[in-house]
Amino acid sequence: MMQPLLELLVVDDNPADVSLVCEALVGSKTRSKITSVGDGVEALAFLYRREKFANAIRPDLVLLDLNLPKRDGLAVLAAMKAGPNLRRIPVVIFSTSQLRKDIVRSYEMGANCYVSKPGNLNDFFTAVQSIEEFWFGHVTLSREENNG
Amino acid sequence: MNVTEVDILLVDDSPEDVELTLHALRSENLANLVFVARDGEEALDFLFCTGPHADRSFQHPPKLVLLDLKLPKIDGLQVLKRLKTDERTRTIPVVLLTSSKEERDRIVGYELGTNSYLQKPVEFDDFRKLVKLLGMYWLVTNQPPVSKGKSVSAGQLK
Amino acid sequence: MSSAGTKLGKQDAGAPQAKLRALLVEDNALDATLVVRALNRDGFDVAVDVVQDEAAFTRMLRANPPEIVLADYNLPTWKGMEALKVLRAEKLDIPMILVSGALGDVTAVECIRQGVTDYVLKDGLARLPEVVRRALREKQERSLRHQIEEDLARKVDELARSNADLEQFAYVASHDLQEPLRMVTAYTQLLGERYKGKLDESADKFIGYASEGAQRMQVLIQDLLAFSRVGRQEAASASVDCNSVMKDVLQTLATAIQESGAVVTCGDLPAVWADRTQVAQIFQNLIGNAIKFRGEQPPAISVKAEKADDRWQLSVSDNGIGIAPEYAENIFVVFQRLHARTEYPGNGIGLAICKKIVERNGGRIAVESHPGKGSTFKFTLPSHGPEGVAAQ
Repeated sequence: MMQPLLELLVVDDNPADVSLVCEALVGSKTRSKITSVGDGVEALAFLYRREKFANAIRPDLVLLDLNLPKRDGLAVLAAMKAGPNLRRIPVVIFSTSQLRKDIVRSYEMGANCYVSKPGNLNDFFTAVQSIEEFWFGHVTLSREENNG
Repeated sequence: MNVTEVDILLVDDSPEDVELTLHALRSENLANLVFVARDGEEALDFLFCTGPHADRSFQHPPKLVLLDLKLPKIDGLQVLKRLKTDERTRTIPVVLLTSSKEERDRIVGYELGTNSYLQKPVEFDDFRKLVKLLGMYWLVTNQPPVSKGKSVSAGQLK
Repeated sequence: MSSAGTKLGKQDAGAPQAKLRALLVEDNALDATLVVRALNRDGFDVAVDVVQDEAAFTRMLRANPPEIVLADYNLPTWKGMEALKVLRAEKLDIPMILVSGALGDVTAVECIRQGVTDYVLKDGLARLPEVVRRALREKQERSLRHQIEEDLARKVDELARSNADLEQFAYVASHDLQEPLRMVTAYTQLLGERYKGKLDESADKFIGYASEGAQRMQVLIQDLLAFSRVGRQEAASASVDCNSVMKDVLQTLATAIQESGAVVTCGDLPAVWADRTQVAQIFQNLIGNAIKFRGEQPPAISVKAEKADDRWQLSVSDNGIGIAPEYAENIFVVFQRLHARTEYPGNGIGLAICKKIVERNGGRIAVESHPGKGSTFKFTLPSHGPEGVAAQ
């Protein structure tokens, strides 16, 4: 089931990784718009539409790294799952960490799924494309009216 | 049947859909062990290690639960609620796979914390493709929270 | 505080020594003089302090610790043996000689049992110098031995700490290097793909070299990480069924086995006491190597076990290209390779990891091999856990 323009929020402090995500999705069948923020505080400001993000769109999917400056990924996750407005947005943890404790903790705090960033470029692209294909191509998302 | 290392718990009362799902999973070699529950009560017994499944342990949850909504005895949303409100089971990934087109079902599903919600395609072929995709995504791309078992990273089967 | 008579290093008994600091516990002035004279007569130059009670004794010990204590057994206000207690309380290892009038054998033996170094009778003072000499010599040997032990303990400590530092460094370095390396690998590869043929020929070549180098680095770092992990993680040793481990390993190597047409035969394998993941690593590396370094024919690999005293000796034999005996030890060294990278892939870390694991479990690993005649790798693992709990 194809949706119109879908909004992907990438929360990652490494611009090189954000760029890789964008590269991976060039030419994807689904029309998606990618926005990125570089730390936990910005992520929450974006999601709560505060200050400079007053006109921010509500993302349909969040790709969340764990190691972020200011407020880390789990803190963002917790905030999202605590509020009624944000908790229905699926969150995919996308992190280099393969530590069992990070994986379990993420699930405990409500992450929808956990994908380790592969070290190999092709695998990285495959992973990102699989994520996008699954969530934007097949899942019935819980969408709200978007501003723009 | 040794039910300790179950990969997928499939909860569906439609025999055709179950058969299609099992076939799709098997053809991709995605899941070693799929347990089928035909109603909500059996699903709960399985997941909470009670009744006929009292010999199961919470240490070996399935890596994925494929849950239909319309089920006899106890319906899918109730099963989901029980799962996601109990500490012992709430980290188990649940995918709602249903023919329901009710918006309410979808909203409540996400509210209750389902990991994802998908609609069963009507066409057999699309259904099969979807199941394969599901299996690949949740068992290969995704890292489930279970501790034991071999995990394979996306695209890299050594 | 040691009062080692270092000045008494000379071997010959009669030679004049430096001043011997002695503390006399004696209430009779004449007896005291006789003691000193006996020592002088035999070449001892003595600096003597005389005390009669515990307070004075303690004071002298602290102010001017002697090299030897000579105590009268029987004093009116104080017992000579009490001096021993004071020495102990002050934690001083100073030899004490009892100088006494008649002392029954039983008493004498008892005194020595309680810690007196020796005793001399007042009418046998001629013996005193020899007794003193012997006491001082023994004290010196004792001090030397302590010193050596302390030095050794300190060196062992330093070494352990240094080792731990190195392991920590190797782990942290390889772990932290992964991230920036991932960036370099990804983007050099992207550059190569995206701009192939669009820049000039040299550019393609340069990017190619950079990309290859980056990817090799990535694998190297991963290998290093794997190697340094062996020491780091608390190995959870338990009873491990090698048959079960082999099943998992064969599954992991399924593709390689199928592609090479390898046939792996296992004997009945025992249970060992070790960390399961590490045992799997050993088998995976050895069997993987057997498949990789194959000869013309499909690999025929055989895994066996035999009991060797209280350990199990496991062996993995193959019909591959073999190893020249002069390299038999070298191959276990980290990053040592015998072949060009173009001939056989790999970094040369697999065997180093095997060796590290085996040795951490108190075992040995070695290879018997000849070029063209295949190889047999043998290694030992414990069959028992602590307190003799048998692996099963």
